[in-house]
Amino acid sequence: MSETALINHSEKKAFLVKSSSLKDVRIFCREVFEKLKIEQNLKDELVLAIAEAAQNIVKHAYKDEPDTKDIMVVEISCKNNKLEIAFYDMGTPVNPEKVKHRELDNVKPGGLGTFFIQEIMDVVEFQDKKKKPWINHLVLTKQL
Amino acid sequence: MSYKVSEEGNITTIHLDGEIDMDVVEKAKEVIFPHIDSGKEVHLNLSQVQYMDSSGISVLIESHQKALEKNTKVIIKDVSKSVLKVIMMAKLEQILNLE
Repeated sequence: MSETALINHSEKKAFLVKSSSLKDVRIFCREVFEKLKIEQNLKDELVLAIAEAAQNIVKHAYKDEPDTKDIMVVEISCKNNKLEIAFYDMGTPVNPEKVKHRELDNVKPGGLGTFFIQEIMDVVEFQDKKKKPWINHLVLTKQL
Repeated sequence: MSYKVSEEGNITTIHLDGEIDMDVVEKAKEVIFPHIDSGKEVHLNLSQVQYMDSSGISVLIESHQKALEKNTKVIIKDVSKSVLKVIMMAKLEQILNLE
């Protein structure tokens, strides 16, 4: 691993569940990773993983609700060089067993977002124990 | 995302600029696909695209496949280091025409 930071730090932010929020999600992540002094290559990868997870909320958890006024929350925490990114939303419940990426050999548009997340992060898991009012609680972790 | 289109002979060059994500993907398709549909060879210059997510990658795949159907090709030119990394992560560097 690179020369990492890191200070213990936690920040969270709420975003409207819509595709135009994805840019704001990336800006938020970049600002936090700047504070954590995470080096550029890793920062780019983490921003991609986070943006893909946020995109999955917009695209899948709110598939039938393009005009929703709901929010999603992204929380980035770093403790003892372990980075944890939590996502909270109130969309359609996700069945983790059905979250699969396409086979890379089967080249076709779509199905890569989950692959990128799994490729970049160490652990990707949906929490069973919900924190009200949230329906889905996804946690991505990576040891720095 | 902004773009600039220039044409020379049977080649259409499209310079994309900005970040390509789910929010702009329909706009990107509207810019690129008509040129492929008209049978032109399309050069996509990505030197000013510093971020591309899976939605953007899907547009590249769809463009490539659409071009094959039309017996033409899409060449991706001057791809930035950060976008190349995403293309390689998806193991598409041997599938897409990169120059």
